Amino acid sequence: MSARRHTKARAWRRALVYVGLTIAAIVVLFPFFWMVVTAFKEPGQAFTAEIFPSNPTFENFRRVLTEFGFGRYFVNSVIVATTAAFFATLFASLAGYVFAKKDFIGRDKLFGFLLASLMIPGMMYVVPQFAIINKFGWMNSYRAMIVPHLANVFGLFLMRQYMTTIPNELLDSARIDGAGEWQVFRTIMVPLSIPIIATLFLLTFQFHWNNFLWQLIVVNIERLYTVPVGLALFRSQHEASYTLIMAGSCISVLPIVAIFFFAQRYFIEGMTMGALKG
Amino acid sequence: MPADRASQAAQADAREAEAALDARSPTDARKTRPRKPGLRLLRGSDNLTAYTFLAPFLIIFIVFLAYPVFYSLYLALHRVPVDSFDIFGGLIFVGFGNFAKLFGDVKFWWSVLMTLYYAALIIPSGIAASLVLALLLNNRLKAVAAYRSAFFMPYVLDMLVVGIVWTLIYSPHVGVLVRILESVGITAFSEKGFLGAPAWAMPSVVVANVLKGAGFGMILYLSAIQNIPGSLYEAAEIDGATPWQQFRSITLPLVKPITLFMVIIGTIAALNAFVEVYAMTGGGPNVDVGGRALGATWVTGYYIFDTFYTQFKLGYAAAMSYVLLGLTLIISLVNRRFLRAEDI
Repeated sequence: MSARRHTKARAWRRALVYVGLTIAAIVVLFPFFWMVVTAFKEPGQAFTAEIFPSNPTFENFRRVLTEFGFGRYFVNSVIVATTAAFFATLFASLAGYVFAKKDFIGRDKLFGFLLASLMIPGMMYVVPQFAIINKFGWMNSYRAMIVPHLANVFGLFLMRQYMTTIPNELLDSARIDGAGEWQVFRTIMVPLSIPIIATLFLLTFQFHWNNFLWQLIVVNIERLYTVPVGLALFRSQHEASYTLIMAGSCISVLPIVAIFFFAQRYFIEGMTMGALKG
Repeated sequence: MPADRASQAAQADAREAEAALDARSPTDARKTRPRKPGLRLLRGSDNLTAYTFLAPFLIIFIVFLAYPVFYSLYLALHRVPVDSFDIFGGLIFVGFGNFAKLFGDVKFWWSVLMTLYYAALIIPSGIAASLVLALLLNNRLKAVAAYRSAFFMPYVLDMLVVGIVWTLIYSPHVGVLVRILESVGITAFSEKGFLGAPAWAMPSVVVANVLKGAGFGMILYLSAIQNIPGSLYEAAEIDGATPWQQFRSITLPLVKPITLFMVIIGTIAALNAFVEVYAMTGGGPNVDVGGRALGATWVTGYYIFDTFYTQFKLGYAAAMSYVLLGLTLIISLVNRRFLRAEDI
């Protein structure tokens, strides 16, 4: 009798948890649902009472891509995010390797100094970085969007944590076989660190894809706009065209949603690793 | 703290072992192949290789992250003439003029106040939302993985886009939220929408941001909760503790390190707030404070942006960001003290 009551209570509890989870999911995902359905409504129909558009149309997507240059912005975003992710990951893995496996003058002090810089709010950098880019004559170029953010301290931290766990014997045996430092790095460290390299690549790609403020500041010619910059300026010019704005928004988040869908494990682990281990 | 010291000791041991290894290998090398003395000196330690490998990272770090902190101070002590074409040629030294002006700038102190208000709203509500999601997920149910992904996904998306979508949802008259509320008889928001009403603008920005970011804290809390031994709950149950009591006296104290971490990163994020405000309110709507029109979401990050991007006053913006840095350091020092006191 009591056992049955117990299972009954458990079933109730379970149902309640499901209800809670579903409500939470609806609340959290509603903006994205609304973004997608609005993007498929006919132009000018953003505020109709219907939830699902009666005549779903690709017209908004066609217009933002052809008339308003989102195709071009998309290509720019891909160029910036991919190049930046590649170099940021490369630099962080080179640096992570020596912090994990080498003993050199000032190592611990330098590492502490680098980590301390994580406490500085990003807003602090905007003005002087802009001034430096201006002095270099880099305004309105891809490198202005890419180069200033290639030293990723958090990425370095992830790399070092991971590479420390690779056994020294492997490195030593390669050195005994006559491998130079670069070869040790390339043939041993890199292949054994693929999971963390993939993680950091994704994280830096995501960072640069979403790096709106900086891209807005250093670029003011339309040819070089990235998707978020194009979207923000499009909105300020066509404030009422919400169907078009939502189509642009869909295009803007699509790559990150797709990557997240296929590689969410890397995202979740990479983003929370620092907090859980540090 | 003791665990920390233990791991430091372990690290030190490992370092000694490594040093012993390193000391041995060059000697072996010397026996087999004689080298030039200068080169041997460099090989004896790892310094040359290490700094070669570090060079790309360090150069970027120094030029774009370390130097700017000092350069910003230099800028803060100067005025950049707006009309001059060579914007960096004609800096005018003004000493602490920018800081003095800042001190008397009501709009700036208001922005600091709004930033603190924003932090006071978003940090607790973000923690609460993360914790609720984690507790819901901490059940052995079939679809847990799918829900977990759904909650985490918004965290990786662009705040700008999320903010723009929320402006649509929050719109007055015809916005979906206003309509839903009207259908149950609430018309208080119909006229101005959520972002247009001074009292509601900031909380609305916070809600949008919390729903976007809660998935991150959720993962941290979930892993902390799953590390709590089940025997603690069993013992509490035998003693007749209600689920609420179990939560209060077992779960909450044991996830405290995550909570403190959330407070620290939440503080930095809140002091940095810009994109959410840019996307949703542009610092408005204006409220009348003693005859002065001030923005209800006018946070310091937005003021810095406005000063430097719209008005092109680089020196003044740099001075402002320095005060923001000072504020961040003070708050994180307080946090750290708090952290240490809690740890012992």
